[in-house]
Amino acid sequence: MKMPEEEREVILSQVGEVLKDFRLSRESLIPVLQKVQEKLGYLPVLAMEKVAGDLGIPAVDVFGVASFYNQFRFNPPGENEIKVCMGTACYIAGGKIALDSFERRLEIKEGETTADRKYSLERVACVGCCTMAPVVVVNDKVEGHVTPTRVDGILLGLETGRQNEGTGRDGEGRQNR
Amino acid sequence: MSAAPVQEYYQKLQEEARTKSAAQKHLPRVRVGVATCSIAAGAIRVKEAFEDEIKAMGLEAPVIDTGCMGHCYAEPQAIIDKPGHPPICYGKLDEDLARRLVKDFLVDDDPCFEFAMAALEPNDFFPTFEDYPRGVYEKKMILGQCGFINPEDIGDYIAQGGYAALAKALEQEPEDIIREIKNSRLRGRGGAGFAAGLKWERCRAAESDIKYVICNGDEGDPGAFMDRSILESNPHLVIEGMAICAYAVGAAQGYFYIRAEYPKAIERVRLALKQAREKGLLGQSVLGSEFTFDIEIFAGSGAFVCGEGTALVNSMEGNMGIPETRPPRMADSGYRGKPTVLNNVKTFAYVPAIVRNGSAWFKSTGTPESPGTAVFTLVGKINNAGLVEVPMGTTLRTLIYGVGDGIPHDKEFKAVQIGGPSGGCLPEAMLDVPIDFDSLKEAGAIMGSGGLVVLDEDDCMVSIARYFLEFTQQESCGKCTFCRLGTKHLLDILDAITRGEGTPESLDTLMELAEDVRDGSLCNLGGTAPNPVLTTLRYFRDEYEAHIREKRCPARVCSDLILYYILPDKCSKLCSACVGSCPTEAIYTREDGIKAITQEKCVKCDNCLKACPPEYLAVIKLSPPVLPEQQEGVKN
Amino acid sequence: MSAEVTLTIDGQQVKAVAGEKLLFVALNNGIYIPHLCAIAEEERPSACCRLCFVEIEGLSRPVTACTQKVRDKMTVRTRTPKVDRLVKTGFELLLSDHRLQCRTCPKNGACQLQMVARERGLKLKTGRFKPLAKDIPVDHSPETFSFDAGRCVLCGQCVHADQNIARVGAINFINRGLKRKIGTFNNRCLRDSPCTECGLCVKACPVGALTFKT
Repeated sequence: MKMPEEEREVILSQVGEVLKDFRLSRESLIPVLQKVQEKLGYLPVLAMEKVAGDLGIPAVDVFGVASFYNQFRFNPPGENEIKVCMGTACYIAGGKIALDSFERRLEIKEGETTADRKYSLERVACVGCCTMAPVVVVNDKVEGHVTPTRVDGILLGLETGRQNEGTGRDGEGRQNR
Repeated sequence: MSAAPVQEYYQKLQEEARTKSAAQKHLPRVRVGVATCSIAAGAIRVKEAFEDEIKAMGLEAPVIDTGCMGHCYAEPQAIIDKPGHPPICYGKLDEDLARRLVKDFLVDDDPCFEFAMAALEPNDFFPTFEDYPRGVYEKKMILGQCGFINPEDIGDYIAQGGYAALAKALEQEPEDIIREIKNSRLRGRGGAGFAAGLKWERCRAAESDIKYVICNGDEGDPGAFMDRSILESNPHLVIEGMAICAYAVGAAQGYFYIRAEYPKAIERVRLALKQAREKGLLGQSVLGSEFTFDIEIFAGSGAFVCGEGTALVNSMEGNMGIPETRPPRMADSGYRGKPTVLNNVKTFAYVPAIVRNGSAWFKSTGTPESPGTAVFTLVGKINNAGLVEVPMGTTLRTLIYGVGDGIPHDKEFKAVQIGGPSGGCLPEAMLDVPIDFDSLKEAGAIMGSGGLVVLDEDDCMVSIARYFLEFTQQESCGKCTFCRLGTKHLLDILDAITRGEGTPESLDTLMELAEDVRDGSLCNLGGTAPNPVLTTLRYFRDEYEAHIREKRCPARVCSDLILYYILPDKCSKLCSACVGSCPTEAIYTREDGIKAITQEKCVKCDNCLKACPPEYLAVIKLSPPVLPEQQEGVKN
Repeated sequence: MSAEVTLTIDGQQVKAVAGEKLLFVALNNGIYIPHLCAIAEEERPSACCRLCFVEIEGLSRPVTACTQKVRDKMTVRTRTPKVDRLVKTGFELLLSDHRLQCRTCPKNGACQLQMVARERGLKLKTGRFKPLAKDIPVDHSPETFSFDAGRCVLCGQCVHADQNIARVGAINFINRGLKRKIGTFNNRCLRDSPCTECGLCVKACPVGALTFKT
């Protein structure tokens, strides 16, 4: 895939912006990658090459570090990011069932993005909201007590453009109406 | 040493803070718990409802963010302080209730006791938290202010005596502080329980101009969130502990290593650091003394293994988070090859109180070998889930039944999982084990960083072991043979057992391999990864055997070994709740009106079982997965 | 500074310089201890292959010889039931993730895995463990050598050669956990990487993962 010149320009200038705030050394690598991903949504190949060049380290090292950590992505995320918590409390409360439901409804597996790039589905290892298990994080908003019915509700909410405010015990009641 | 100026400087700070808080004393205040979990429960909406209603009523009453009180089962919560009344805590709030409290209590003086959880001060009308069983067993050494003070206002912390310990420490010789911490026998709360004082002493003794202090907030145990909660609820407590440590060991730079999954914690710590700098509590010449110390935040990128010290340091240096062999120890050669103290969030949180009150005070709680308190996130099948702090030596039974109020829905207790993926599962017979580093280790579990998950009769121990192995296998850094490949084979064997494909030999291989991964791995992640397998094999071997010999999952969890069935004699022909709940249209209505399941279509999502009204309870799970019709067929 | 010490390995008295790594002291004295990842000049050994276990008197568990500095009067045993058990498991684990086709392997006869098997009387089979399917295409793109990731044991010898000796920076470890492998930037083929084909990595490879074309 050839990248249009404009897109290359955007990436290079964004990465350049990010790098201005850092000391150009290997120690800055992870914070730099975090910032780049925050701006671009993912780590394009070109961005990693630019980071490697400016920090003065082999590109393969940048790729190695980026591929080691869960946080970094090499493809643009879906418009809506759905993260299913798989912490212990969520697991025993049916987190797997929630994940299965999302997989079934979106017809993708965890770690994938739908063909229309509308949704990406991930599993995360505990967001620290164990008392509301099972928990799903939808576009950085935590949804608690997620049953398969609630999965339908969440997706419906995203489809219709308004993410349902309610979660947990009262949210569920409202969803049915 | 410039002793007097430090006290003077501090007194002035405290004076300022107290004057400012006294100026508001005459006003009613609403303190809303706003931490990650409360936000998830709707705390922001509740807070806005309070604000809107207060405005609409034309009242002057500040609405303040606080952190988490630990009563997570009752989120969202708020504390209302109204002059003339004791402060009262309300739980399970929603917007309507918030508006009503403004009208009825703030305007009309009715405290609405029917919605109150507890009062915060003894009074003649309503019980306090200390009057409940939980209050009797709990003892708060580090969580005391969580949920009560405003984590976004340093003045709140200072007004209540915050940073007094730092001021006191700066008047002492570093060696005196190290001696006090050593005497206190404070053990690291990150998991292994290594004596904090010894680490500090070694780092102090190490020859180097540059030393570092790092706070390990890479809390990765699934099912544990105490570090997040403390950082979100009382960040200055940890900052103060780190500053004291830095002074004691001779470090000028500190770091918070916090998981990127905890944005709220990072945000609050960042703000706290900024405020501490503004007040002269960090930076050049702390509290007017000659001590210089500042702290930066490093956001972890999501790798459980980074909780391991050498991996954490590698990650801070811009590398993969991969553990290294030891020695050298961190205290001799850590971050950038310099002497480094790395302690857990909770460990640092104990420091100010120990410096303030002395080591004898600290040792008066807990057991001789494990003094102080233990902080747990009590979750799973438990009535009062939350963040709890009990003296070391408290039994598991007290913790679960006394503090946590037992198992919901009259289910039977099966096991308690302590210490997360590195810990183990203990059965009923071990419930009288006292909670301390050594007793738990002897029982096969570990203190870990404080995750405690209660499991009941509906939980399958093989599946739990499999769950943890899946976690460690996915989080293994992949460096060493035993952890990379050993955990994979352990997982595959467990997988096969949960699918009913285990053989009697699989248990032997499982046991042998688990022991070898424990003994052969390079770091503690691999070394402790087999613990969930080893403890479940030790205490719940019968469940493994049921899966293998009878293809039966006793708790009816493993989806390949169960099927859903609608009892014809219990099914109400008039109700079709199950049909509506089924996501795959597997449930149909028979000619006689009774519902039945097309097994081929069933995805075992559990919806129908939940949907079936309690007066019928017609949907059941069967294991082994044989329909009653087939069973009869076999008999004939 | 560097005092000479005397230690006992399997009953044999051995002299060495204090602070040297036990593994290399043993090897230099003709005592074989299985090993794949050890690099003599590395101050902090990787210790990732987990094959060089020995028992040292006074320590309760077997330890890796590559990480132990020799001390005076140290008593070491390279073969004990505990050691043999760990080495066997470690070896079987490595084989379970290794494309076991010795007959067609260019390294046949010169492979360190075969050496371990021969010295320790272990079978070149995965034993108790199911082979983990590894169907990775071989990178034939360099002119002078090939890289077969399916035979790689992740010892890191090639990375050391590339990054620390040749100072090229074409390859490194990438990914985490079971997906960990030796790779190039963005998984490009070696020809499209900065690789200069100096051949140092190929010479360093103890198994049949990196082999010269004939």
